[in-house]
Amino acid sequence: MNEEALLARASEERERIFQRYERGRDNLVGQIDPWEDPEFEEYHKTDRYGFIHDERLPQRTAPQKVNIEVEREKKWVKMLAHWDTPETKQKLHRRIYKGIPNSLRINTWCKLLQVNRIKFENPGKYQDMLKLGKLWSTDVRQIDSDVNRQFREHQFYRERYSEKQCALFNVLCAYSIYNSEVGYCQGMSGLAGVLLMYMDEEDAFWALAILLSDKRYAMHGLFIEGFPKLTRFLEHHDKILTKFMPKLKHHFDKFGLDAILYSLKWFFVCFVERVPFSLCLRVWDIYLLDGERVITAMAYTILKLHKKAIMKLNDMDLIVNYIQVKLHKDFGYDDDIVIYHLEKSMEELRRAKLDYPGPPPPNELPQRMLGVFVEPDKKSKIGQRAENFSETEKQTRANVILRREKAALELQELRVSQSDTVSDLNPSIGLPLHTSQATLDIHLESPIFSYVFTCRTDTQPVNYLLNKKVISKIKNRQP
Amino acid sequence: MTTAPGGTNNFKVVLLGEGCVGKTSLLLRYIEDKFNDKHLTTLQATFLNKRLNIKGKRINLSIWDTAGQEKFHALGPIYYRNSNGAILVYDITDEDSFGKVKNWVKELKKMLGSDIVLIIAGNKVDLEHERTVPLEEAESYANMVGAKHYYTSAKLNQGVEELFLDLTREMLEKYEQNSQTEVNRTSQVLVVDDETPVQSSCCSGTKSN
Repeated sequence: MNEEALLARASEERERIFQRYERGRDNLVGQIDPWEDPEFEEYHKTDRYGFIHDERLPQRTAPQKVNIEVEREKKWVKMLAHWDTPETKQKLHRRIYKGIPNSLRINTWCKLLQVNRIKFENPGKYQDMLKLGKLWSTDVRQIDSDVNRQFREHQFYRERYSEKQCALFNVLCAYSIYNSEVGYCQGMSGLAGVLLMYMDEEDAFWALAILLSDKRYAMHGLFIEGFPKLTRFLEHHDKILTKFMPKLKHHFDKFGLDAILYSLKWFFVCFVERVPFSLCLRVWDIYLLDGERVITAMAYTILKLHKKAIMKLNDMDLIVNYIQVKLHKDFGYDDDIVIYHLEKSMEELRRAKLDYPGPPPPNELPQRMLGVFVEPDKKSKIGQRAENFSETEKQTRANVILRREKAALELQELRVSQSDTVSDLNPSIGLPLHTSQATLDIHLESPIFSYVFTCRTDTQPVNYLLNKKVISKIKNRQP
Repeated sequence: MTTAPGGTNNFKVVLLGEGCVGKTSLLLRYIEDKFNDKHLTTLQATFLNKRLNIKGKRINLSIWDTAGQEKFHALGPIYYRNSNGAILVYDITDEDSFGKVKNWVKELKKMLGSDIVLIIAGNKVDLEHERTVPLEEAESYANMVGAKHYYTSAKLNQGVEELFLDLTREMLEKYEQNSQTEVNRTSQVLVVDDETPVQSSCCSGTKSN
């Protein structure tokens, strides 16, 4: 196909997708395939947040808890009426850690994020972005595919092309134009999906915009090419593990379990679909108040609370399944207790000066003006993908590899230092004394610091990871 | 690959490919014989298990499904390291997604050599009338790189079972071959490196003495 035909095809596809959302479910009777809607034999139970469970509800909210919440609501209504006062400031922290009453979440979240301010500063912007999105967004295909998957067990999103599904599609399309550096990145459907459970379309759009570009949350750096903020926060996460839970870190490394494998959703979508939704909302409440630190502290808290159970799992799959699936279904602790521990963790990390990996460097913040339309290039209009990794992506990839390399090296060093046969080892290099009679095969050389050797002795081949100093020693020892 | 005490062989398989080509659908079809029912988002790679029996051997597959959006490909090494097999999925109506498969093949060959069994899957054959990736091209490419090629439709449940079964057979064969030639290979610490070519010259002097 020539370029023109490809362009025409891409724009046809975009048009077709947009049309379906514009018409919505009611006008698509007979045009939605049965498989597009999830099968729930019947509405078994819908919980108070709107999620439909395919079985009996695991736990009903206890009546006394509902009573407490009713009492709290009264206080909150008063407080919301006097938001910008010193009294509110003083009470806010304590009250938010106790949990925002669900019925008042919408107002409170909007106030915490200052949605109204940005909305009034930008009249008509959302509609403009949406219109432009319809003409130009190159992310429509991925957005469509993700709207079709996000929160399908929630009553708002259950039916294909339902009102909220259409709203979710619109918000993401409009945002993909608003922030041309990010466009759309998988994960954002989770953020916008939660916001839309509480807000209308335009408010959700601005709330998403604030989560990405306000320095308190700075999620922009998570979703741009190469995910620089993810790398930075993961490094910090590893540091915390090394300091406070070295045995657990060792346990993870032993099974080659990189934090990326279990924590991506912690960082990208603030624990959505990784902890039960009621707890997730509580963490969001606090995140919206206190910002980035909360993610770091919650990540630490989850592992701290479940360390014992995880240490018993001797397989990567089992550990990942526990952290990703089991904890989502049943966290094992009451929400209030988790939040109590979260607050304690924040304090503990603060004292150790590990509560915050520092403010975002410039490359994690929007470089281009937000809300200014940039026409996509031909390649992305057609939907062509890059042939090679960009420099930033190469960096990220190298980083990912390096993380494993480091972990493996640490593990190896630990093994050598803990070795029972330490007397058999040549202390200067950590290789068995009879190495001189062995064959050393070098496999790969890393530009950073380590080599891998297979040391073939009479008995079994053993792989060694050695740093450069050791290598030169071995070389110098040669006759 | 690990062997559990009960004599079960565990194989790790990773699903790779461009966004929207149907990786998750293939997996759900295979594991639960459902199409699109669960509507899983795959921002975070998740895995599902399948137990099967081949030649009287008990096998446990853990199949890792990855995020397809291009931005996430930089995280690839985390997912495919220690994999015994990779299924590279493309959409037969999207030539670009086939181009991405080629990139994955290159990367996997470079990083894992022949240690990994590669399968290429042309998905969505239910949309045969919209095909843009020529049949012969896909098959001859697969042949050239030593990968088996399958046509699948997660929607119509075509070719899915066969694909996984053949992949498992191949992994088992490879495992058995390896364990014969290297009976006593034990602990493995693998360090991989991106651009620098293997430099064996620097230690040629130490190779034997």
